[in-house]
Amino acid sequence: MSDAAATLAQDRQKLEMSALSAPAVIFTVAMIAFPVVYTVWLGFQNFSSTGKQSFAGLANYSKLVSDYEFWHGLWVTIALYVLSLVLQLVFGVWLALVLFHAKRLPGIVRSLFISPFMMPPVVAGMMWLVILDPSLGAANYVLQTFGLPPSDWLASPTWVIPTVALIDSWQWTPYVALIVLGGLQSLPPSVYEAAQIDGASPFKTFQRITLPLLLPTIVTAAILRSVDLLRFFDIIYITTQGGPGNASNTLNIYGFRVGFEFFNIGYASALMLTLTAIVFGAVLAFNRLRGAVAW
Amino acid sequence: MASISIRNLVKRYGNFTVIPDLNLEIADHEFVVFVGPSGCGKSTLLRIIAGLEPISSGELYIGDKRVNGVQAAHRDIAMVFQNYALYPHMKVYDNMSFALELRGVSKAEIDARVKRAAALLHIEPYLDRKPKELSGGQRQRVAMGRAIVRNPKAFLFDEPLSNLDAKLRGQVRAEIKALSQELKTTMVFVTHDQIEAMTMADRIVVLQSGTIQQYDTPETVYERPANQFVAGFIGSPAMNFFPVAWRQERAILSQGGMVVPLEGESAGRLRLAGDAVLGIRPEHFAVTTEAADGIAVNVKLVEPLGSDTLIHFDLAGVSAIARVDPSLRPKVGDRISLRPQPGKTHLFDASNGQVLR
Repeated sequence: MSDAAATLAQDRQKLEMSALSAPAVIFTVAMIAFPVVYTVWLGFQNFSSTGKQSFAGLANYSKLVSDYEFWHGLWVTIALYVLSLVLQLVFGVWLALVLFHAKRLPGIVRSLFISPFMMPPVVAGMMWLVILDPSLGAANYVLQTFGLPPSDWLASPTWVIPTVALIDSWQWTPYVALIVLGGLQSLPPSVYEAAQIDGASPFKTFQRITLPLLLPTIVTAAILRSVDLLRFFDIIYITTQGGPGNASNTLNIYGFRVGFEFFNIGYASALMLTLTAIVFGAVLAFNRLRGAVAW
Repeated sequence: MASISIRNLVKRYGNFTVIPDLNLEIADHEFVVFVGPSGCGKSTLLRIIAGLEPISSGELYIGDKRVNGVQAAHRDIAMVFQNYALYPHMKVYDNMSFALELRGVSKAEIDARVKRAAALLHIEPYLDRKPKELSGGQRQRVAMGRAIVRNPKAFLFDEPLSNLDAKLRGQVRAEIKALSQELKTTMVFVTHDQIEAMTMADRIVVLQSGTIQQYDTPETVYERPANQFVAGFIGSPAMNFFPVAWRQERAILSQGGMVVPLEGESAGRLRLAGDAVLGIRPEHFAVTTEAADGIAVNVKLVEPLGSDTLIHFDLAGVSAIARVDPSLRPKVGDRISLRPQPGKTHLFDASNGQVLR
């Protein structure tokens, strides 16, 4: 084959490859890039109550700095995020260890342990609304059975964040456990035999061998949960709608209200882009941590 | 005292018996190699000594202490694993110091022991590295270093060279042998490689189906194998076996009836047995120019190895090999005459494979 013919064949192959991959590229651009670019554009716009649109420059972003609701929403988001993430990672690792060592546990019991995260959040939220009802719910009935005073749970500004964190942890701890269980099952057994010969107690083995070896897996679980937790919406929307007052008003709930209840789309876009930047920041930080703990 | 004594040891997994009834005495400071094919129970036996596998019945002593049921950590042994089993998240130094730290040894003592072992194994430059930053040979040395720092009563090696390339394997093999002479500690080494067994061991345990076939020095196992299994397993290329019979005051091959030049004691033993299996190592064939003195064979394949030449041929329905002088380069299809070297033939009972003596 001559050089010219070879070049022609290569060009033809490139053209075919481009044509075949074009639908996927167009779909990705349409579904991801366009909404992002459109939201960025919206963040620089101002919409009046009559629907008139004008260029606002950085006004929406400068408004954030002086908006008390934004800072409150940020605090609620971070408090819920930290509390939920810690609960889910600690209990997720614990549940994974239980499932890993309880080899005789029937498959159906294992499946039950990890089933909550398969439940739609709306259903989980409704179920916990009933359980936590201050007068009729099972939670207060249990407290009173043990002689403890009843709690207002979701109706208390003090307890609403821990309660929502508990509901989310009930649902998503098994998901973390499943990821950690996968990590546990892939650890080399001979390392444990070496530790046995070296004289490591079960606690030392966990502290010095299992936990450090699991860290990359745990950080991966933390990344996946961070993305969800910082965008906390569904459980709160079902159970408290940001209340009582604004005690559980996360940034996501606040942004939703600004956009779809007050129709201030420009400011809502600026809020959501700020939240997106926070999510990105958390993911990047954890990604660096994953690199540091890799073995 | 770090002798190892195994008495009437039985190991079962459910209904499956891996080791039916095993007795073994390993002397203090002895280097013993367990060798055998895959599934013969050699690694299981080593893991039982290490305390990683429980004993179904029988007794195990390390030194004077009965260690049945004693945890691995309290047996005062060190083990080098096939895949090294280094702690991947710890630096080399921490890998070596971990066991000492757990035992509450002082930091100064740990540092001294780690540095001494590192110097012995030439791994000082790697103490700050993690295992993933080391080559296979370096990891192997770290695994040995981890064992050495503990000053154990016995070292157990579970096929530690099988992941190394051929050149490095030879080098590390020599190093382990030198180390055993320097440390003067009891060593038990598991391998399926009979060259490792021959070159390193004071005594070899040849295992098959969880049963000891022979336990003796490498020279004895090679020169006077106890049975056909040992004869076939030890030696490379493997010993050739031919069914033979004593007919009309001569040894003949059972298939084809060709006369085999057997002399002296061998002829006498075959005369008594009537039928037997004749074993001749490839290196114990001599090429003779006198056709009447030897067995005429057709050359099927020639493998020049440099140091010697392997000649493949068929005899009495058996595929056989002769190792001859490298200056001899017969061609495929040539007819040559081979003669077993006097006193170097082996006769085995045709019914049970035991050597005829």
